[in-house]
Amino acid sequence: MVGLSAGEKHFIQGGIAQDLRADGRKRLNYRPIYVETGVIPQADGSAKVKMGATEVIASVKLDLARPNPSQPGKGKVSLFVSCSATAGPMFEGRGSEELSAELSVALQRCLLGGKSGAGAAFDPSCLSIVDGKLCWDAYIDGLVVSADGNLLDALGAAIKAALTNTRVPVANVPAGASLDEDPDVDLSSQETTRIDTSGVPVIVTLTKVGRHYIVDATSEEESQMSSAVSVSINKERRICGLTKRGGAGLDPSIILDMISVASHVSEQLMNKLDSEIAAAEADEQDT
Amino acid sequence: MAGRGGSTPATYSPSPATQNKKKKAPIFTDSDWVRPDTRGFTQCRPAFFRTGAVNAASGSAYAEIGDTKVIVSVFGPRESKKAMMYSDIGRLNCNVSYTTFATPVRGQGSDNKEFSSMLHKALEGAIILDSFPKTTVDVFALVLESGGSDLPVVISCASVALADAGIMMYDLVASVSVSCLGKNLIIDPVLEEESYQDGSLMISSMPSRDEVTQLTITGEWSAAKIHEAMTLCLDACSKLGKIMRSCLKEAALASQE
Repeated sequence: MVGLSAGEKHFIQGGIAQDLRADGRKRLNYRPIYVETGVIPQADGSAKVKMGATEVIASVKLDLARPNPSQPGKGKVSLFVSCSATAGPMFEGRGSEELSAELSVALQRCLLGGKSGAGAAFDPSCLSIVDGKLCWDAYIDGLVVSADGNLLDALGAAIKAALTNTRVPVANVPAGASLDEDPDVDLSSQETTRIDTSGVPVIVTLTKVGRHYIVDATSEEESQMSSAVSVSINKERRICGLTKRGGAGLDPSIILDMISVASHVSEQLMNKLDSEIAAAEADEQDT
Repeated sequence: MAGRGGSTPATYSPSPATQNKKKKAPIFTDSDWVRPDTRGFTQCRPAFFRTGAVNAASGSAYAEIGDTKVIVSVFGPRESKKAMMYSDIGRLNCNVSYTTFATPVRGQGSDNKEFSSMLHKALEGAIILDSFPKTTVDVFALVLESGGSDLPVVISCASVALADAGIMMYDLVASVSVSCLGKNLIIDPVLEEESYQDGSLMISSMPSRDEVTQLTITGEWSAAKIHEAMTLCLDACSKLGKIMRSCLKEAALASQE
């Protein structure tokens, strides 16, 4: 990313203070969001999301596995993000490790819920085939193709769309088969079930520049931030995860204020995303 | 179990009680949950800090809060690696590792690889990086025993170690976490409580400045509950800050004599 001159920095900060950002948006406006589902035919579910110049792809793959002994009725979900070098030369080789790890941890926190499973994006018991013996393991992978700020929100949206797009194959286990060795699972029926994604939260990142908060920051605006708070909120306005990023300290009352602003913004984002995902799914079924 | 006479040597077999460690999650009613160590819901474990644990380091500290034992050593400011670009502010490098015997099951500590970057984020807001340009300060934390609430103990111990090393900071960073079990908020959870938790909130703050350097929340919360948990934690942080300060004062007095 090219450095910013002092004049450009003042322009960004001054514009935000006056509720008029460099691309004409208000502080709490998102860039236009485009969602496309089914972009990876070999995956069980996939989606691509574009927010301005930020482009991310999420895919969901399902594998047969043995469930965790402590949670026999549920499948396992694992989430990982990587940054492609197409987003910028600094992501080549090991350069993207730190950013990928940070994004992965933040998304796991927002979408996988607490240790007992409360607050998770979707109920993993829909992935169970035979209680205690066989289940689907869901591997959710995010890929950053082009980075222009607000990666977390875009990845959250892409994962929501990919989960909605996921078709879980119906597995028929012949009755009486012994499940202690590798069973002959019958996957030939073309039936699939879908995952209930009504509870999947959206992630809203509020970036604090000067004394004001903006939503959906570009990478130039992010370079001027003092700190950022990413809040994951679901349809019932419950907070499913929160991460504060950035070094500067924040007053606790400001954090609570940011949470209420994020909660307010999340409603619009949730509606927009739901309609975009529904449109993308309808498009995909037509083709 | 000593051997008897001159016959075959006795072998030790673990007592049956220790073999049934894998219990199913208990189903609690909200008011009946009694904490394993009989603390109240809003009572933290007693904290113990001591500086000067590692002689070879610029600064170090040992912290023991309940069963969680952590040692942190600070090296620096020392020359940045030649491969790194010139930087007119200082750099902070953090590493958190677990001993293999720290967790009840050997080797489980490697699940917590993200603690290094979380420690970095908690501390970078408090250190005055301008005071040591072109150099790096290394913070190495070793968890000797994991008894629950590991990362908050590591963060608090690291800021005592940084103070012992004489690195300039805006304020000490104290850190506390709260677990949500059903409707109850339980402060400073132990390992058992953490494995059943529905949600957790961890806060790192600078008590005298009343500023939050790091906040992470997992699980499902309402805004009112977050408010309640934050006030609880910030109060605990300020009390922990006082304990950390008194430990540093004692160390300073002792070195003066």
